[in-house]
Amino acid sequence: MNTEQKQEKLLFAERPEWSDVDPIPQYETSTPIAPILYTPQYKDATDYFRAIVKSGERSERVLQLTEELIRLNPAHYTAWQYRYETLLALSSSLQTELELMNELAIKYLKTYQVWHHRRLLITLLRTPQPELQFIETCLRVDSKNYHTWSYRQWLLSHFVDDDDLWRGELEFIENVIGDDVRNNSAWHHRYFVVFGCGVRSGSEDRARIVRRELIFTKQNISLAPNNPSAWNYLRGILDYNRLPYSLCTRFVKPYTLPLDPNTVDIVDLENPPPSRGAELPCVYAIEFLADIHEKAGDKDNILKGVDLWKSLANEHDTIRKKYWEHRIREALQSAT
Amino acid sequence: MHAQPTLQKNLHLQFLARNMMQGFPARYLSQDASQPWLLFWALQSFSALQVGLDPDNRQRSISKIMSWQHSNGGFAGGPGQSPHLLPTYAAVCALAIVGRPGPGGGWDEVDRQKLYDFFMSLKEPDGSFRVAEHMEVDVRGIYCLLVTASLLNIMTPELVEGTATFLASCQTYEGGFSSASHPFYSIETDRVLRSPRPNLGEAHGGYTFCALASWIILQNYLNLDPGTIHPSDSSSRKTPAEEQWSNELTTERPRIDIKRLTRWLVNMQGSEIELGGFRGRTNKLVDGCYSWWCGGSFALLESLGIGGLQNLTAKDVEIDEVVDADQPPDNSGREQHEGWDDIDESLFDRKALQEYILLAGQHPAGGLRDKPPKNADLYHTLYCLSGLSAAQHHIYSSHTRKAETLAEWKDEDSPNNALQKAVFADLVSWVEEEGTSRVIGPSNSNRLNATHPLTNLTITHTEAILKYFYGQDIPPRPFIKTGASKK
Repeated sequence: MNTEQKQEKLLFAERPEWSDVDPIPQYETSTPIAPILYTPQYKDATDYFRAIVKSGERSERVLQLTEELIRLNPAHYTAWQYRYETLLALSSSLQTELELMNELAIKYLKTYQVWHHRRLLITLLRTPQPELQFIETCLRVDSKNYHTWSYRQWLLSHFVDDDDLWRGELEFIENVIGDDVRNNSAWHHRYFVVFGCGVRSGSEDRARIVRRELIFTKQNISLAPNNPSAWNYLRGILDYNRLPYSLCTRFVKPYTLPLDPNTVDIVDLENPPPSRGAELPCVYAIEFLADIHEKAGDKDNILKGVDLWKSLANEHDTIRKKYWEHRIREALQSAT
Repeated sequence: MHAQPTLQKNLHLQFLARNMMQGFPARYLSQDASQPWLLFWALQSFSALQVGLDPDNRQRSISKIMSWQHSNGGFAGGPGQSPHLLPTYAAVCALAIVGRPGPGGGWDEVDRQKLYDFFMSLKEPDGSFRVAEHMEVDVRGIYCLLVTASLLNIMTPELVEGTATFLASCQTYEGGFSSASHPFYSIETDRVLRSPRPNLGEAHGGYTFCALASWIILQNYLNLDPGTIHPSDSSSRKTPAEEQWSNELTTERPRIDIKRLTRWLVNMQGSEIELGGFRGRTNKLVDGCYSWWCGGSFALLESLGIGGLQNLTAKDVEIDEVVDADQPPDNSGREQHEGWDDIDESLFDRKALQEYILLAGQHPAGGLRDKPPKNADLYHTLYCLSGLSAAQHHIYSSHTRKAETLAEWKDEDSPNNALQKAVFADLVSWVEEEGTSRVIGPSNSNRLNATHPLTNLTITHTEAILKYFYGQDIPPRPFIKTGASKK
C-alpha cells in the first residue's frame, strides 16, 4: 500500500498537514430536526470543508479535500464551485482536471455537477473535439442520459463554427437511432443537428434536406409504426418548415387502417408501407390524418376528422378520451 | 367488485415521522446539499395528508431553515454551503408551512433585500438565471426564483425582464420544454438573437412544469401597461434595457405554442397497461413523480384557457353528448363514479392517475415511489401525493376572485405597485368549487388537501404568507366541505 492510499483511509482530523485547521461542525444545536445520519468519514470531510470556505484558503490541499468530498457526495455543488475557483486561483492544469473528470463523469453520470464542471473546463480549454468520443462512451453506459445529451448539444452550440467538430454529427445520430429507434433523446438530437442550430454551409439546399428528413422518418415509421418519437419528428420537420401535413396524406393512410395481409413489397421511398407484422391501426397515424382534415377546414373534412377523433376517444386511445373530445369541440367551434 | 384501493395514510405518516424524528439513513448522504428539499418534501407531505407539526417541532424546523440562509442572501443546501436557487425555493416554502411573523418565526428574518441582490447577481443577458454562481442555467432555477419572489413580494420588472423570452425559447418541437436553450449573440449589437436558439435537451416533464408555471407567473409582467413602468420617460432617451422592456411589453411579446404543449402533455399519460401513470419524456417509462410534474400541469394549462369546465360554453357541453352517443352503454364501473363525467373536463384521465398512485405508487412499508419494486423516498412521496391531490381536486384560477382581489388592493407608493398587485391577485385567484372533487377509493380516508397549482403548497399556507408579505387583505373564501377526518 503506497502512502497515498494509506492517507485516504485517515480522517482529515488525523492528518498532520491539516492540524492547523479547526473543523467547523454543521449545526450548533446537537439535535437538529430531520438529521442525515452521516458516516464519520463524510462528517469529517465536510467539517474541514466548512472551515476552508470560511477562511477562503486556495491551495493544493483544497483541491485534495474537494476531490475527496466530491467522491463521497458528487452532488455537493459548493465543493465543485469552490474547487473551480481554486483551480483558477492556482492556475492549475485544467487538462489534468479534465482527465480526473473522465473518471468521475462515468462514475456519477446522473449528477448535474460533473457535467457542468466539464462545460466550465472546456470553455476555457477550447478543446471540443475529443469530447465527442468521450460522450459516446458515456452514452454506451446510459443512452438516454439527459445531462449527457444536453452536454453534447451545448458543446456543438458553443463551438458552432467548428466544422471539424460538426462533420460526423449526422452519421453519428443516424447510428444511434439505428441502434434504438425508440430513443427519443436521439431523435431530439437529430432535430437539434438538422434544424435547431441554423443552416450550416453545405446544407443550404433546404428542399433537399427536408426531402431527406422526410424519407428517413417515414422509413423508420414503416419499420416501427407505433413509435411516437418518429411521429413527433415528422411533425417537427413539417412545422419547422411551415409545410402542410397534407404532404403526407398518401403515406399516412395505410397506417390508419387494419394491416392489409395482401400487402406486396414495393419500394416507394416517399410512401413506404407498414412492415409485415405491424400492429395497426396506429393511433399516431389516425391523429395525424385527423389533423390533416381539420386543417382543410371545410365542413366535410371537419366531420371526417371528428370521426377519427371519436374512434380514438372510444376505441383506440381511450386514456386520452377527454383530450380527443377537446379536439372535437375545438374543431367544431372553429367550423361554425 | 374488488376492494377499493386505499391510500395508506397511517403508513405514510409513519414513514415521514420516522425520517423527521429519527433522521435519514446514510444513503441520504447524497442529499446533503439538498437539505431544504428533504425538509420541504416531508413538511409538504404532512400538509397534503392534512397533518400539521406540533409547536416544538415547528420551532426546530424554523431554526434549521434559518441556519441555511447565507450572509450574502439566499438559502444554501446546508450550513456553510453556497446560496442556490433550488434550496432557496425549498427553504422559503418550508417557512411558509412552519414559519410565522415575529421573533423566532423565520418570516421576518429572511433578508429580502439581500435575496433580491442575490437573484440579480445570477441574471444572464438573455433573461435567464444561473442556479448559483458559476453554475448552470435552467428553467428549474427560474421557477424557484419566481415562486420565491412572488411569495416574498420582491418581484420587479427589472428582475424578470427578458425571462419570458428565454422560457419561450425552451419549448421544443415536441411541445414540452427542455432544461435550457443556447443563446447566440449578434456580433454587431451584442444582443441575443431570436434564432437560432437550440434547445439543450429534449422535452421533459419536470422542466415543462417549471417552465409553464413560470410562464403563467410572468403573464403578470407581460400584461403590464408599459406606461405603468415608465410613466415619465417618454421624452427621455431610453437605456437598452428599458428599450427591451418596452419591446417585450408591446411589439415583441414572446409566445409559446399552447396547442403543441397540450398535445405533448396528454401524451405523457401512459395507457391502461401502464395503469395511467405519467412518464416524463416520450418513449420512457411512467414514474410516480410525474403525477405532479405532468399531472399538475393541467391546472396551469386551464389558466391559459385550455380544458376545464370554467372554460367551456353551453354549446361545448352539447358536443360532449354527441361524442358519447356513439359509444355503447358501458356499465363496467361507471355507476360507482356516477356524475364523474358531468363535472370533469380535465384533459387527462384523473381517475386512472389516482389508480396508478394508489396501486403502483405506494410502498407496502410506507412512503411512495416511482413504481414497483423501487424503494420509497421523500421526493417521490411528495410528488406522488401532490399528483394524487391534483387528480382529486379541480383547482382553477377564477376571474371573479381575481377581480375581487384587485378591487380590494390598497395601492403602494412603489414603482413596482402594478406588478406586485398583479402577482398577488393571480396567486390568490385559485379556487375549488364545492362538490367538484372526485376521490377514487374510500373518499373520507383517501382525500388529500388541495395543492396550489403554482406553489405546490396548500392554498391556506400560500395565502397566509402572501397576506403577510404584501400587507394586503385577501377576500374570504366560501367554506368547502372537505369530508376529511381530523386526526
